[in-house]
Amino acid sequence: MNPLMTTRSTQILQTVLAIAVGIAIVPATACTHTKKYPLRGLVLEKNVSTSEITVKHEDIPGFMLAMTMPYKVKDAAVIAELQPGDVIAADVVTANNGNDYWLEDVRITDESARKITKPVAVHRLDVGAQVPGIPLTNQDGTSFRLGDFKGKALLVTFIYTRCPMPTFCPRLSGQFAKIHGDLSKTPDDLAKTHLVTISFDPKYDTPPVLRKYGLAYLDDNSAGFSHWDFASTNPSDLRKLADAFGLEYFEEDNQISHTMDIVLISPAGKIVKYWATEWTTAELEDALREQAKAGKTGQQPQAQKRAG
Amino acid sequence: MIRLSPSNCLAAAFTSLALILGGCSSSKSSQRGQELFDLHCAACHQGPTPDLKKQPPRLEHLFAAAQLPSGAPATEAQVRKTIVEGLRTMPAFDKRLSEQELDDLIAYLRTLK
Repeated sequence: MNPLMTTRSTQILQTVLAIAVGIAIVPATACTHTKKYPLRGLVLEKNVSTSEITVKHEDIPGFMLAMTMPYKVKDAAVIAELQPGDVIAADVVTANNGNDYWLEDVRITDESARKITKPVAVHRLDVGAQVPGIPLTNQDGTSFRLGDFKGKALLVTFIYTRCPMPTFCPRLSGQFAKIHGDLSKTPDDLAKTHLVTISFDPKYDTPPVLRKYGLAYLDDNSAGFSHWDFASTNPSDLRKLADAFGLEYFEEDNQISHTMDIVLISPAGKIVKYWATEWTTAELEDALREQAKAGKTGQQPQAQKRAG
Repeated sequence: MIRLSPSNCLAAAFTSLALILGGCSSSKSSQRGQELFDLHCAACHQGPTPDLKKQPPRLEHLFAAAQLPSGAPATEAQVRKTIVEGLRTMPAFDKRLSEQELDDLIAYLRTLK
């Protein structure tokens, strides 16, 4: 029998244990400010190397709309047991005001459709690779490529303007706005860095929509666009760019399910580092400044040495 | 003075029935609206959401004040426009909520105290 499948007797035992453990850990939980939300969904993929499963799940009131997205599962034994095709119930545990989240108490409720597959590997460009020369169009309708920013350290991320998830696109744009604001305090930092936000939703996120979105994050100062571009591209090139950076996305009912990625690109136009699951604004800003400094002095920065 | 005639009694009975049914309908709408609120709005408007550019306002007593948090008049039309088109860093819910869902959501917002 599958060890994750629960029988009635084990369910009763688990309930008793859960109550006992729950009573014991209430003070600790209250201190760490974690929240739990029940999830039900279908496992589409698993990635053993990143301890993640991609789940097509139902609405999670208070946390997430129905969508397909990756979740970390900290218990390696659980990851090993789960297979694409499994229907699961689990708790989404959130911490750090929802910025960190993972699955706990994963139970397989139906394994009849499971299919044993090889772990999914993400085929993105390696660290050190030249940034792809895919054409983009910014908020003013001007065409550019990521390779046009030679001599500047570049931080790139992906969003869509209608994203309602505070821990996804609004968080990324909020973090980029903080970085832009901090760098704007020093003309040299501003001159040696650049930010690019690329939309997953080229059909809706036209240049005027991106301009309006960008201005909200730039405190209505359009001069900020000279340091932070909001861009889109055609669907075909978007797919190529997302593949190059290891991103997954698809549209369903005007909602775009997507993974997250932030890419640091050196002043020489080479990929330095990816962040896909955990990062802080300070970490991104420090890495960008370090790259900018390295571009000026010609030294290899620490972030590049550590990456890969 | 109102005289109790058969026609007045009938009218009163219909009015009462309409009020009861209307009340039930409004309550169901508000209940559906709460589900939509929990799904689409609560995560931001009942934060905290530290990495956002700006903490979204709480929405209790939204219609009680003369103005919305944005400074616009606190009318149903303005609230509906804000939800559909978005405002500043608030995302647009354009094409993602039906007219009925918007009605339900607004019915629930009216109950938030």
